[in-house]
Formats: sequence, C-alpha cells, structure tokens
Amino acid sequence: MTCSSWKRFLVPAAVAAVVLAGALLFPQQYYAWISMAAAVIACLPLLVRFERRSPAAGELTVLAVLVAISSAGRFAFAWIPAFKPVTAVTVLSAMYLGPESGFIVGALSALVSNFYFGQGPWTPFQMFAWGFLGFLAGLLSRPLQKSKAWLCLYGIWAGLLYSLIMDVWTTLWADGTFVLGRYLAACASALPFTVMYAASNVVFLLILGGPVGEKLQRIKEKYGLFQNQA
Amino acid sequence: MDTFASYHPAALLGYFMAVLLPAMFSANPALHLLVLLGGLAFWALLVPGRTFAGDLAFYTLLSLMIAVTNPLFSHNGVTPLFFLNGNPVTLEAVWYGVDMAVMLVAVLYWCKCFHRVMSDDKLLFLLAGTASSLSLLISSAIRFVPELKERIARVHQAQKAMGLYSSGSYVDRLLGGLRVFSAVLSWSLECAVETGQAMKGRGYGLKGRSHYALFRLRPRDGWFAAVTLCMAAAVVTVMARGALTHDFYPKMTGLSAAPEALLGYAAYGVLAALPFLLEAAGRCRWHLLLRRCARQDTGGEPGKDGVRWTY
Repeated sequence: MTCSSWKRFLVPAAVAAVVLAGALLFPQQYYAWISMAAAVIACLPLLVRFERRSPAAGELTVLAVLVAISSAGRFAFAWIPAFKPVTAVTVLSAMYLGPESGFIVGALSALVSNFYFGQGPWTPFQMFAWGFLGFLAGLLSRPLQKSKAWLCLYGIWAGLLYSLIMDVWTTLWADGTFVLGRYLAACASALPFTVMYAASNVVFLLILGGPVGEKLQRIKEKYGLFQNQA
Repeated sequence: MDTFASYHPAALLGYFMAVLLPAMFSANPALHLLVLLGGLAFWALLVPGRTFAGDLAFYTLLSLMIAVTNPLFSHNGVTPLFFLNGNPVTLEAVWYGVDMAVMLVAVLYWCKCFHRVMSDDKLLFLLAGTASSLSLLISSAIRFVPELKERIARVHQAQKAMGLYSSGSYVDRLLGGLRVFSAVLSWSLECAVETGQAMKGRGYGLKGRSHYALFRLRPRDGWFAAVTLCMAAAVVTVMARGALTHDFYPKMTGLSAAPEALLGYAAYGVLAALPFLLEAAGRCRWHLLLRRCARQDTGGEPGKDGVRWTY
C-alpha cells in the first residue's frame, strides 16, 4: 500500500464537501451542481493516477498523437454530419493500450477538440462520457479483439450511451432539475444524431479495427511501451 | 490591447469560478440578471459591433425558445394561465423558463469571454505546476492537430494523383477517407515514438528539472485577487445564510429586499462588472496616453503630411 492513511479519506471528504456546499449554497440547483461536480470528480482519480505514474516520454507522445488524430478527424470527416471518429479511436486505443490509455485518450480528446469548438460546462460531461467508454473498452479488450460482432455491439452501445449522457446534461441544464418529459423529448430530437454516432462507430471500428489494431500492437511490442498495463 | 486578459492566469481562473458558480447553480433571478449584464458589457468591449449584434440576435432567439418550451414540459406551480392538451400552463413555469433562459445565455456569454481571455497557453501554464505529464500531453496534442491536418491533406492529394477513389460516390469517398486516416495514423505513430526517444535522449523525466514560467505575479494581480476574494466571500456568506434563496414553485416568493440580500446583490454586481470596468479603464488610459504622445510629437497639430501619429 503506497497510499498513506489520510489520503484514503480524500475522496470521501471531497464528496462530502460537494454535497454540503450544494445543500448550503445552491439548494434550488442541487441536481445541476451535483451532476457537474460528479462529472469532474469521476475524471480525477484516473487523471491523478496517470500523472503519478510519470509515464515515459514515448507513451506521452503516442497518446498525444491519438488524441490529436481523433480531434483532427472531426475536420477530415466534416462532410458527413455527426461523423466523429473520437469514440472509435478511443475504443481502439483502449483495446490495445489498456483501460487507462483509453480513458486518457477519450477524456483529453474532448478537452483538446473543445479548444477549437469552444469550452463550456459541457466539457466535463464529454470528458467523462468518452473517458468512461474508453476505460470500459479497455476492460473488455479480450472479447472485443476476438470477435467483430462484439466490436459492432460496442460501437452501437457507445453511440447510444454518449448520446444519453449528453441528453442528461441538456435536460439538467435547461431545467435545473431532471424533468422526464424534457429528457425524453431531448432524446427523441437527438435520435438522428444518435443513429449517426452509432453507425459511424460501427463503420469505423469494422474497417479500421484490423489495421489500426495491428499498428498499435506493433508500436507496443517493438518499442516496449505500455507494458505495465493489463 | 487587452487589459483584463493581462492579469495573472491563476487570478483570472479564480475570478471566472467566483463569478460563474453562483450564477450557474443559484435560482435567484437578480443574480442571473446581474451576471448577464456584466457578461454582455464585457463581451461588447471584446468584439466588433457587428459581431456583437449578430450574437445578440442569435442568443435572443435561443432564450425565447428556452423560455417558451419550459412551461410545456413543467406543470408545477399553482397559477394556471390556460390549458393545453389538458395540461395547465402555469405563470410560475413561465417565469422559471424566463429566468433559466437568462441564466443560460449569461453563462454562454461568459464561456465566450473565458475562451477569449484564457487562451490555451494560460491554462497549460496553470496545469504545468501541478500536473506536468498531463499538461505536456495536452500541449503536444494541440501542436499535433494542425500537423495531422496537413498530413491528411498531403496523403489525400497523393492518393488522388495516383487515381484512387476518383469517383464522387459517397461510399468511395468514405473508404478513401478511412484509408487516408489509417495511413496518417501509422506515419504519425512512428514519428511520435521517435519524438519520445529524442525527448528521452535530452533528459526528459530526470530529477531536478524545472519548467519555464511564462507569467509572473505582479502587485496588481494581488489587488485584483483581493477584490475578487472579498466580493465572492460576501456573496457566498449571504447565500449560505439563506438570504438569497428564491422559490418559483409552488408559488413564487417575491425577491428579497432585506439589507443582507441587497449587500449580496451589490457584491455580486461589483464582481460581475469587474472585467468591464478594468477593460474600460485600461482603454481610457491607453487613449489618453496616445493623445499625449501625439501632442508631444507634433505639438498638438497634425504632422506635415497631414497624418496624425497613431501607435
């Protein structure tokens, strides 16, 4: 155990502080406050762990390229509406470079591409949504690498989940509380985008899964990077 | 000539948190109005008049849409105005929608100001002190984005010259795009590893290395931070004592005009107006200095060529 005893109380203390501050200061906008704080706090542990590990220079630059290509890909495929390669790049990085790398690529892609598209209260939610999808794909790397069917399913589920998480944000943001009617309406109006996200994920993962996977595997083995990850 | 943006990034970040958090998470219409006015005034100084007018039209439409849709989804409140499909449209829900619209537009305006004032070098400077690996990762990613865009264009042109995917069909274009993407990825991954090895060769990650600080704290940063802190502390204290709570449902409570609440409004008003005031003061000073320079150079008259010097 490298953690000293008082540090173990940091996360519960942070959660308690957030809840208390919300109850005292923002009683009417409690839900919006809590959800925003939750998105931020959910991103912190993995970011802190990454920082503590002080990764090798090669790992940093490889991850930076993956983050950059998922942001640049948004421009390259701009002629197809709602076609974002971010999820696919995140999932592929997670499958071959481990859950932590998946989280980092997903969360930082949201942050970096928002330097071009505009930062706002939605940034933590996007970071959390993409980071979480990457982390999960890293945990499921074995079935995802073996079967194309699982990869397709994950692409669909990722498009759906991303859309559902961002609609929660829209609802909380527009109403201050969670109004089910508004949420359903937001989901319905975002349906074309959701379908497009899921379809683009599947297309991307099916066509690029093989070649990109080989490239990442090759980099990993040839240069001995990302070896301490599961 | 950006006066406000020239303050220290840490003070600026603290300021934006202090002004945005109470606005985003309170339900007090007076606070929302104050923050909207402050943001609008500051944004008006940052952009040309035409851009400002265009923005204003767009956000007015957006806020109207939010204000109108709220009573359709929310049927809380005790004062029905009329019934739509058997559901009451209540006065409280209408006001709540208006308040939400004001708050949303205000926060969007402040986000635009944030985007303009806190450029990525400032954010990375702040991050570098606490998280050096992450900030290096983010800054190299930001540097790679334009490089990758250029590589994508180059590979695309090369493939076109070879006669690949020359038909205009969507499937062809999509497959071609993916092939370019894949080629650029392998090219860039290889380069990235080499960059990493070069960094290692030059001592990246060794103990005892420091980072270069772009920004230094100056006395005026201290003043700015102190004013921000005092005002924010006043607002938070008043909020925590419950003097600024305002309920829309079930029945609207009137806006509190108790001395304590007024103090809270005043403190928040100063806080929200701070960027506008500093920026405006900075501009006035700049113009006065310009005029003084022009007078010294030409004795107060336009130069021989009839052109007045400007700097």
